[in-house]
Amino acid sequence: MSPPDDIDLTRPQFIGAKVMRREDPRLLAGEGNYVADIKRHGMLHIAFRRSDHAHALITNVDVSAAQAMEGVVAVYTGADITRLANPYQATSRMKNYQATFIPPLAVDKVRYVGEAVVAVVAISRYVAEDALALVELEYESLAVLVDPEEALKPDAPKLHDDLESNILAAREFARGEVAEAFADAAATAGGRFHFTRTTPVTIEARASVAEYDKGTRTLTLHCTTQIPGIVRDKLSEIFDLPGPRIRVIAPDVGGGFGGKTSLYSEEIVACAIARDLGKPVKWVSDRMEDLMTTGNAFDEIVDAEIAVAEDGRILGVKADVIGDVGAYSIYPWTATIEPVQVVSFLPGPYRIANYAARVRAVATNKTLTGAYRGVGRPISVFVMDRLLDMAARKIGMDPAEIRRRNLVNDDEFPYKAASGLVWDKSAFQACLREAADGIGYDELRREQAAARADGRWVGIGVACYAELTGVGSRIAVAPGMPINTGTETCNVAIDSTGAVTASFGLASQGQGMETTLAQVVAEELGVKVEDVDIVLGDTASVSHGTGTYASRGAVFGGGAGILAAKAVHEKIVRVAGHLLEAAVEDIETGNGDVRVKGTDKSMTIRDLARALYSDMGRVPKDMRDEIDNLEATKVYDPFFGTTTSASHMCLIEVDPETYKVEIKRYIVVEDCGRVINPLIADGQAHGGVAQGIGVALMEEVIHDKTGQVLTASLVDYVVPSAVEIPSIDVVHVEAELPGTVGGFRGLGEGGTIGAPACIANAISDALSPLGIEIMEIPATPERLFRLVEAAKAD
Amino acid sequence: MKPAPFDYVRASSVEEAVAALAASNGDAKVLAGGQSLVPMLNFRVVDAPLFVDINGIEGLDLIEEKEDGGLRIGALTRHFALETSVSVRDRFPVLHEAMKHVAHLAIRNRGTIGGSLSHADPAAELPMMAVLLDAKIVAAGPDGEREIPAGDFFTAPLTTVLAPDEIVVAVDLPGLPAVTGWGFEEFAQRRGDFAVAGVAALVTREGGTVTNTRIALMGLHDTPVRARSAEAAFGESGIEAAAVAARQDADPMNDLHGSADYRRHLAEALTRRVLTAALERAAQ
Ligand SMILES: Cc1cc2nc3c(=O)[nH]c(=O)nc-3n(C[C@H](O)[C@H](O)[C@H](O)COP(=O)(O)OP(=O)(O)OC[C@H]3O[C@@H](n4cnc5c(N)ncnc54)[C@H](O)[C@@H]3O)c2cc1C
Repeated sequence: MSPPDDIDLTRPQFIGAKVMRREDPRLLAGEGNYVADIKRHGMLHIAFRRSDHAHALITNVDVSAAQAMEGVVAVYTGADITRLANPYQATSRMKNYQATFIPPLAVDKVRYVGEAVVAVVAISRYVAEDALALVELEYESLAVLVDPEEALKPDAPKLHDDLESNILAAREFARGEVAEAFADAAATAGGRFHFTRTTPVTIEARASVAEYDKGTRTLTLHCTTQIPGIVRDKLSEIFDLPGPRIRVIAPDVGGGFGGKTSLYSEEIVACAIARDLGKPVKWVSDRMEDLMTTGNAFDEIVDAEIAVAEDGRILGVKADVIGDVGAYSIYPWTATIEPVQVVSFLPGPYRIANYAARVRAVATNKTLTGAYRGVGRPISVFVMDRLLDMAARKIGMDPAEIRRRNLVNDDEFPYKAASGLVWDKSAFQACLREAADGIGYDELRREQAAARADGRWVGIGVACYAELTGVGSRIAVAPGMPINTGTETCNVAIDSTGAVTASFGLASQGQGMETTLAQVVAEELGVKVEDVDIVLGDTASVSHGTGTYASRGAVFGGGAGILAAKAVHEKIVRVAGHLLEAAVEDIETGNGDVRVKGTDKSMTIRDLARALYSDMGRVPKDMRDEIDNLEATKVYDPFFGTTTSASHMCLIEVDPETYKVEIKRYIVVEDCGRVINPLIADGQAHGGVAQGIGVALMEEVIHDKTGQVLTASLVDYVVPSAVEIPSIDVVHVEAELPGTVGGFRGLGEGGTIGAPACIANAISDALSPLGIEIMEIPATPERLFRLVEAAKAD
Repeated sequence: MKPAPFDYVRASSVEEAVAALAASNGDAKVLAGGQSLVPMLNFRVVDAPLFVDINGIEGLDLIEEKEDGGLRIGALTRHFALETSVSVRDRFPVLHEAMKHVAHLAIRNRGTIGGSLSHADPAAELPMMAVLLDAKIVAAGPDGEREIPAGDFFTAPLTTVLAPDEIVVAVDLPGLPAVTGWGFEEFAQRRGDFAVAGVAALVTREGGTVTNTRIALMGLHDTPVRARSAEAAFGESGIEAAAVAARQDADPMNDLHGSADYRRHLAEALTRRVLTAALERAAQ
């Protein structure tokens, strides 16, 4: 790998170093500051009475008994909140999209089990919960829609009377001549795939503390959000308050995974109540509320088919996607974000000339779906890579080989994928090659043959994917969305004490951004990593920022950080030139010092700051007027963003008696561009794969026919624990660096994108002697049992 | 997820605890390790006006070796103490093995044998071990103590024959015959979860022939049960027949973690495994 020309190698190299996470001592010793830790004088507590109906008219709400209970301060209904907060919805310019209003507390009608109906405010959460039982609600049941295929029928009852149908979004993609491709095929394969609904389980459940300062008429919301800037901007409209009088702070946040990238009803209700009562209020979700109401994930039915030639070349792919998006179109991403990504990413890193796809996002009486690590692409890869294996089996070709023949080659970039996405150069083929080498693919195939001869169910899985990360202003993260996800801001400031602070619109949920961003800024400025303070998750620190999602933190934060640090560096050099009486070209910084190259003339940056700010006369007025201060704010827009790619391979064994799947080996080889911190990069891959394993084998949100959530505790919503996660090998291929500032590609979501497909392929491979293909995940022991029983009965 | 208001007494003797329970007309609840009770309390599934904490009672936390090779285990003995007890490991290796599958370390540090038996989860290890090992459960009430055979103790999921004013004080495990092999297998998707299904077996041999076989099931019935037809089939026709017969002994339910069909399938597969292991161990 050769570094881009603009990286100065004379300074210490922090980028790429295994710097220990600076946030860990605080977080691991219990000295973090989470929303639940916040206490305020006179603080009140909110508990929500939630709907136990999936679809019903609210015919009567009587809060008088609750209101009269000792310790209860106030009770709010949907009508009350309507008075206090302007309505809002997630709009989009996308054709065939229907927005829904999302009432913070249900008004007239409830549309999913868990929807908040009444908020009780009391002196403690205990009292508030006691009072919930005294709220009297009467409902008139409506037909419940839990099956998206029922919900999309023209005569289906509508969830939203003001809309034309339950189809919130529809879109089609077409390229080439699909019908001809299928007519010419040596083999076709496909069927109906089902990727069930999951939910992003974080250690810290969602929480809000809202305060309203009557004197300054300022609203402050501490909440567990990944998108403080987006929340602030929308609250400004909802409450008719100018930006400076609303501050949204995401303090330490214990995991997000996309579940905290949406604006939530509880945040709005907490703000409305704080402002109305003039008292600080707190709401901390319990696990049951969290499992019922945090934006759910995935949930698609995909009818898909592939056509291949005899030599394994993909001739065409078609797909019809139904996304079950739940009761409302989530803010800000809209109901399109998940299902539309499925079709736009389905062609993946492969050369596909003929592609036809349709997607419909359908409202049902379930929790809203939103973003979850991978968004859409875990399904794209599941379907595409399953199709490839199914086709390979039909033509008798090895799964790794059929991928090698179809992955876009190094000399074909930039490559316009069949759905219109453009891949910039990324190591598609090298990742596959290195994964095969790393896991010892050929040897594993021999071992598998021997194990099979002994009657064991051993399988090898392969999956390849490409994703766009750090997507700039050219492409909206969700189609037609009215917010700008294409830029991010960084302010780097050296103050009059000589201390360096870098402030970002990003927010951290435990990814280690305080460390990685400090590495980037320190390297660019020429100071020590530990001397850079990082400010994240506070809307008061930069004028615009959206937050952390879509694998954008390193690309945007790193890029904006480099640009801002570079600008401050220029100012330092100018001032140093004067103070050290040398030409600007001869000045260099490093380790917190400025020096004149080749001499022993130097001073600390701290002294330089003091000289500029505090020592009158040391820097002439002209220069001070020009420089102003040692501060710069830069906005970075990667415009297209960049491609991250990876290959996953695994070895699994299915117990032929209990149907338990054991993952024996797992390797990820990814091209995430320049690695800022290998410890953190590996950790992201490990965590992503762990969640992908959960999705592949265990996790499923289950509703019964009446729309009740059967998985509202962690006994029934099964996430993998440390014991179930195998050792995962991670290899970073630093191939040609992308054109992003700093050469970074995003890597946060990749693990979850690749793992479900890889594991499903491995299980299908293991069970191939029985002719079983995994079409639905999670592949629980129960599902495998039924598949094997059915195969035996045939 | 906060409990409704309740009163609390910390008893310092069995008599005091029983008196407090009796005075509450059957509404009070015993609090032992709290690992099942407190979650239910927070979910407001259990709502009792009074909690009688028995953790302060001396003498209920013991593992005593008996002359017959058996053990007396006090009701407040923590799961972790059972798991690490040398007496348990030497005298009842099957119990030693089973304890490793009970929940997670933090829960094993608090949870008690008395609590687990009284809670009577049909998929819990200790109730099944009590049935397998022919335990006598010693309960104290206003009229003194009585002994209840484990086979009669469990009546339905989360239900026992204990009266509302009775508490479990000890469990007696009679000693096992000299040459007894054992097997224990449970299936759970995650380590530490309640089992989807579990089977344990004891096979006693004298002079090369099998003289006694006990097989017990968990998660396969609304209480832990002995697999009587599997036991009989094993004596008559061996492992395969027993494994198939275990399906008949199981009467499992459908839930999110497994269908009745799958659980019956597990009953067969696990019975095969535990009998194979028990026979092998009995041969050593
Ligand atoms: C996440 C998790 C996983 C778990 N996994 C398992 C598992 O895999 N296997 C397993 O077996 N258990 C499991 N458990 C349950 C655990 O073992 C409990 O500790 C046990 O079931 C109850 O014991 P306790 O002492 O905590 O009882 P408590 O929770 O205090 O009480 C339980 C019930 O028994 C009554 N009670 C308690 N002691 C007495 C007594 N001496 N006399 C009369 N009544 C009494 C109480 O009134 C209450 O009704 C799990 C628990 C959790 C939270």
